[in-house]
Amino acid sequence: MEAAPAVSPGHTSLEVLELLSGHPDLAGLPVVEDGRPMGLINRNLFMDEMAKPFRRDLFARKSCIAFMDKAPLVVPESLGVQELSFLALEQGGKTLKDGFIVTDDAGSYRGIGTGEALMRAVSHLQAEKSRQVMESINYAGIIQKSFLKASRETLGDTLHDHFLLWEPRDRVGGDCYLCRRFEDGVFVALMDCTGHGVPGAFMTLIMTSFLDHVLAEPLRMDPARILSLVNRKVKQALGQQGKPKGALLDGDEQSDDGMDAALLWLARGAKRLVYAGARIPLLLLAPDDGAATFLEGDRQGVGYVDTPMDYVWTNRELALTDGSAVYLATDGLTDQIGGPRQIAFGRKRLAALLQACRAAPMAEQESRVRDALREYQGNQRRRDDVSVLGFRS
Amino acid sequence: MNDLRIARTPHSPEVDFCFSEHRLTLSGEAYPEDAAAFFHPVLSALEQYLAGADDCDIEFNFRLTYFNSAATKMLYRLFGLLNESACTHNRIILRWQYDAEDDTLLEFGEGVRDDFNALEFHPVALGLAAI
Repeated sequence: MEAAPAVSPGHTSLEVLELLSGHPDLAGLPVVEDGRPMGLINRNLFMDEMAKPFRRDLFARKSCIAFMDKAPLVVPESLGVQELSFLALEQGGKTLKDGFIVTDDAGSYRGIGTGEALMRAVSHLQAEKSRQVMESINYAGIIQKSFLKASRETLGDTLHDHFLLWEPRDRVGGDCYLCRRFEDGVFVALMDCTGHGVPGAFMTLIMTSFLDHVLAEPLRMDPARILSLVNRKVKQALGQQGKPKGALLDGDEQSDDGMDAALLWLARGAKRLVYAGARIPLLLLAPDDGAATFLEGDRQGVGYVDTPMDYVWTNRELALTDGSAVYLATDGLTDQIGGPRQIAFGRKRLAALLQACRAAPMAEQESRVRDALREYQGNQRRRDDVSVLGFRS
Repeated sequence: MNDLRIARTPHSPEVDFCFSEHRLTLSGEAYPEDAAAFFHPVLSALEQYLAGADDCDIEFNFRLTYFNSAATKMLYRLFGLLNESACTHNRIILRWQYDAEDDTLLEFGEGVRDDFNALEFHPVALGLAAI
């Protein structure tokens, strides 16, 4: 609100003309009688009227209310910016052009507000709100990173030549990983929980805690069994036990969340690993010129409504000859749209890329993957969270 | 019943369900913030249409180029509805349109073919000229 000159009905049009000429910035001039706002004189309308033939002679000595808008927007100073902006919009363009009158709560005149000032306040409010949301998400990102830190360190301690690319799309995300070291080996999981952003991050916390819980039992050598147990826990915890009869469930606040995952058990000293997958395949690059092979996991995701409560996943064992490399990637990489044809990155491109840099240390492979994705993505939006884990035995 | 048309946005697909001509088309991309909220009206319109369709030749044109896992869940429900109807009342052709170089999309389509085998699956590879 600005304190602005005001006139009373006792003022003549000539006096208003002089006042407006003396205040070229004034878009509207309030008319106030006994401390109460009566109306608002719009500068341009007033000037146009006074410029017409004979008008000046006719009206110069008469009350200035002849050319006044009798129903401008009048608001109490306690009104919030948001409510004010809705009121201003209801009045059409008038309020933004002429401004509005501000009173105290008893209805006495206090000053005027301009459309420009209102726009400025609205933008400021908007910026402030989005800043608060972003700060909150950024902080959630710090929490998620700290939460994953222990696993990242364990990966570094146990898989010496490895890389882990973890790029949530929106600072936090539904992709996560877990690595736990035991006396007799290492357990590794890469997970892609439904959703991304904050809801996705919630799911990663749920999944990680279930996984840790199951790992407390002596089951680490049996990743398939672990998937089954986590499946059961998720379905029970989120009430995802109903059968999706037809397409729709009544009421329909039921969640249908779960995860894709790849779980690995690397027994200490043994040149082999056990893998169980729920929609995340394992890519194996044999040493030297050996071919790239995808080991398919089961096509069933973990925890979803349509995954049976007693679903049994499959363990696959594979021998790790010295120098062979193992990769896991979430579909955020392989499904990313880009390239000249604006299609998915695809598994073949990933396999070819890794084959091309197979001799390089894992840290270098990470930057090759990162660069390739960035280049392929070009000016397309990132569609999903991206995670890739690679290590050499 | 009325046809269902929903305009495309960057995160949600164009829905063109021309029920009167038994021609249903889905195109664009599907990764809305809330997949259930987007797809529920679509699924319920489809369910209602299928309940009233008998002995029809229905054509479903699938032209999505990207869909995330939450949208995939919803698409599976949609194919489930179509499949059920194809088992009992109608003949349904699923035209699976994909870029000739997009293995990812073709592989997904083949999964759909295997999981919903009452649908007549017709893969349609689009060449450079058609993109």
